[in-house]
Formats: sequence, C-alpha cells, structure tokens
Amino acid sequence: MLFNLVEQLLNALALAGLLFLVSAGLSLVFGILRVVNFAHGVFYMLGAYLGYTTVAVSGWFWPALLVVPPIVGLVGALLEASTLRFIYRRPPIYQLLLTFGFALILEESVRVLYGNTAKGIEPPPLLQGVVALGSNVYPRYRLFLVVLGLVVGGLVWLILRKTRAGLVIRAVAQNSEMADCLGADVARVRTLVFGAACALAGLGGVAAAPMTTAYLGMGIGVIVDAFVVVVIGGLGSIGGSMVGSLIVGAAQTWGAFYLPETAMVIMYAVMGAILVFRPWGLFGEEE
Amino acid sequence: MSRARAAALIAALVLAVLPWVLARHQLSLLTDLLIFGLFALSLDLIMGYTGLVSFGHAAYFGLGAYGSALVLIHFGQPVPVALLAGALLAGVVAVPVGWFSTRATGIYFAMLTLAFAQLLYTVAYKWRDLTGGSDGIAGVPKTALFWGGPSLASPRAFYFLVAACVLLSLAACYALVRSPFGRAIQAIRENERRFTSLGRDPRPFKLVVFVIAAMFAGLAGALFAPFRGFASPEVMFWVFSGQGLMMVIMGGIGTLIGPVVGAMVFILIQEILSSYTEHWMIFTGAVFVLMVIFLPGGLVGTARRLAARV
Repeated sequence: MLFNLVEQLLNALALAGLLFLVSAGLSLVFGILRVVNFAHGVFYMLGAYLGYTTVAVSGWFWPALLVVPPIVGLVGALLEASTLRFIYRRPPIYQLLLTFGFALILEESVRVLYGNTAKGIEPPPLLQGVVALGSNVYPRYRLFLVVLGLVVGGLVWLILRKTRAGLVIRAVAQNSEMADCLGADVARVRTLVFGAACALAGLGGVAAAPMTTAYLGMGIGVIVDAFVVVVIGGLGSIGGSMVGSLIVGAAQTWGAFYLPETAMVIMYAVMGAILVFRPWGLFGEEE
Repeated sequence: MSRARAAALIAALVLAVLPWVLARHQLSLLTDLLIFGLFALSLDLIMGYTGLVSFGHAAYFGLGAYGSALVLIHFGQPVPVALLAGALLAGVVAVPVGWFSTRATGIYFAMLTLAFAQLLYTVAYKWRDLTGGSDGIAGVPKTALFWGGPSLASPRAFYFLVAACVLLSLAACYALVRSPFGRAIQAIRENERRFTSLGRDPRPFKLVVFVIAAMFAGLAGALFAPFRGFASPEVMFWVFSGQGLMMVIMGGIGTLIGPVVGAMVFILIQEILSSYTEHWMIFTGAVFVLMVIFLPGGLVGTARRLAARV
C-alpha cells in the first residue's frame, strides 16, 4: 500500500517532468513575445523524431540529448525571424493562426520523412531496467525524467534570475518598449527566447521518446496538456509552469489509477476549479 | 444597401439554380461547403463582433451533430425536430461553459474554451453507450421534412434544406448585429472598459452571444449528421476549431458573409490539394501562413478595400 503510494507519486513526478519541459517554453514565449505558440507541441514531436535519427546514426542515446535541442531551437528561431516577427502588432489571433499553420506544415513534413509508423528508442544501458525501492522495484528511466525536469527547471530559473541575459529577458517581458529605449535588442531577445523555448520542447521530445516512442500526433497530445498546465500556473510564469505540471501530472496519474474512465475529466475539473477563483492562473498576472 | 440586397438576391438565385446544373458529387460538395459556411458564420458572431476568440467552437458543432443523430436514430422524428434538438443541446451546454469562460478575457478566454471543448471531446470519446466512442454513430437517416411530409433523402431535397437554413441564419445574424444588442457587443469589442464605465456589465452580453453562436454552430452540426450519415468525435476535435478560426480569418473577420466565403474557399482548397497530393496539409499550412501575413483582412476585407480604391 505504501509502495503503491510512492510508485504513484514517482509516476506523477516523471510525467510532471516531461510536461514542465514543454510548458515552460510555452509559458516563456507567451511572457516575452505575447504569442501563444500553437506549434510548440510539434517541436516536441520533432525532438522525439530527431532523437530517433540521432540514436539510429550514432548508436548512442546520450548524444541525442545534446545534439537535438540546438537543432530544434534553430528551426524555431528561423521561423520566428522569418515570419512571426512581422506580425507582432496584430491582434493575438493572427500569431496563433500563423503558428497553427506551421504546426500543420511540420507535422506533415515529419510524416513525409518518417512515415506513419511509430519509432521506438532504446533507453541507454545506464537507465534500463529497474531500481530497488525497499522490497519493490521501479523503472530507472522514469526516475531520470524526474531528475531531468528538476535540473532543467533549476537551470531556467537560475538563468532568468541570476544572469544578465535573464535580466534583459525579464525586462523585455515586463515592458518591451522601455527595454528597447534602454538599449536592449528586443528583436534579438525575442528570437533567442523563441528558439530556446523550442529547444526545451525538443529536449522534452528526446526524453519522452524512450518511454512513449516517437509517433505522429504526440505533439498535439502534449500541447493540450501543456495549455492546461500554463492556464493553471499562469501564462508567463516559470514557477507557475512547475506547479501546474505537478498538479496536472498528479491529476492524470491518480485519475488513471483510481478512476481510469474519467482521468481527463479530473484534469479539466481541477483546472476549472482553480480558474473560478483565479481566472489568470495561480501565478499569472491579471490582464 | 440596395446594392447589398441585389447581391443577396443574386446569391439566392444562384443557390436555387445550381442544384439543377451540378453533377451529383458537386452538389454534395456544395452542401458540405454551406454547412461549414454556417459553422464559420456562427464563429464570426463571437470572434468578429464581440472580440472573443473561441478556440473550442468545434465542440458545439459536435454537440449539434450528436443531438441530431440521436434524435433521428432513436425517435425517427422529422429532420427539423433534430435540428432544433441539436441547436438546443449546443446552447444548453454553452451556458455553463460561457459562464466560466467569460470570466476571463483575451488569450485566457481562448484557452478556457479550448480546454472545455477538449473535455467535451473526451466525454464524447469515452461515453461509449451513448455516443459509440471513437466509432461514432453511423447510419443517421435523412427523415421527412415534417410528420407525413416529403422525404429529404434525395441530395437535392437535402441541399435545399441546408441552403435555406444557411440563408435564414445569415439573415438572422445580420439582423442581430444591427440590433441594439448587436451594437452593444461591438461596443464591448471596441472598448470594454468604456462600456463598463458607462454603467453596463459586459458579462451578460458576452454570455448571451456565446450561447447564440453555439446554437448556430449546433445547427450546422445538426445538418452535418444526417447529411453525412454519421456523427463522430472527430468533429469535436480542436483541429476543427482551429480550422474554423482560419475560415473566419481567410474570409474576413467581422463581415458575416466573409467567413461563409472563407469556409467555402478553405474546404475547396483542401479538396483540390488532396486530389493532387497525399500531403496536402503542408500546402494548407503554407496557405495559412501566407494569408495571415499578407491578407490580414481576408478575402472579403481585401476585396472591399480594392473596391473602395477603384
């Protein structure tokens, strides 16, 4: 019984780790660019597929974690610099639809390149198998996801709070015109943040692939969950994404365990309950 | 105004003549276009005239489709009864959703409507006994026009029903946006703070327009189910909501007729591209991107601007 509880808790944390990698970027992009990036989930999928390719080419898992995020980030940065930056003055619906168009293009391109079948990745030997927890066992790879989520969360927080680049980013988020006047290169900050957010999603995709395989539609699945996370946590808040990921991870894990038919409903019910009291999310700012 | 009336008259005449000119599959495509036109029209009410971007509008289309399918299959009532049932079901569900969602504004409103729509989608997907789960409900019959009345089973008869519904809805929406209520929602779109400071509460207005838009979307869905013969969770999926937004933007936001045109062009582009390539989604996506960047006013908005320049 006690182990059940611990197992569920770890499952929730592993799921939360993945959700955080996706939702943090989504939230960051909204906070700084005021854009809801609909293609964000597709970058997650792209990460998973590129991870598969890297593993297939090199025969190793670890390089994928290092190589794939920069590539995905570069694709994201190119998209931002070539299209999105020209329509920031328009109402938000236009940016949403532009990224919706990109989501369609990228999703279909992946289908052209990889075909319809799901691609599995073997976890590295170090993370295969199980660890003993008392008299029971738990898959190692899920523990790795917990650690990865925590480490990336900590790094993002450190960069935003303790470095000069983070300071500029936060200044642009707070008041981009004022930051511009004070000499910040706002256009470059936006491109870099967009690229970094896509890289995070790509990292999430690589990390998810050994557990879920890389498959078409995984981006669309994750983006809806990530939306729920940022709505709960508040758009633009990294801490909010972390708390939101934990709440959604917990709701899905326990929901799937105790009430399998209604797991999704529970997630939305939790979100609804939070929004009744705080329509802008737990850590978001009122519009 | 008289010019607009003349255009409307010509459009109605063309719609009346077409079924005698077109081949069977073309008529079927035209019926499809009109149904999606009605869906986009309903979305424009809330998006274009109230300034609230709903990202979950497909849910109400789907509710209408399920409501109408269930009435037709289990009770065998005439089609108009099923249409009423579908629209009412969508409207009734939209009341609590709208009540929650209109507490938020801007992007939060869009996300809330998306989340509720996904919730409704999940319910439709999981409630196997009622909705048939992922298989949906197949074999929805096209029953009679009224009790003991003529059958709507022929493509031409059903087309006329759809065309009549779309034209009446269009007229109703025009009347609505010109009414004092319509002026009020446009005032909310232009400047909500000022609206509030004039002593009016915007939320009841938003809720009412949300429910009305949901009912028109429900009507479109209620036509869709007997026309295609099925209702499935697909039509409630968020991708369809996104496509609805694209139809509105493509045709011209806040013009009513624009979204109808936009929906038709959108579906036609998909039809044509999908007959040439299996990977038409890439090209649809590219068309989206180009339209958003270069034609923000949509087809009708751009046409009007060009006409004003001449």
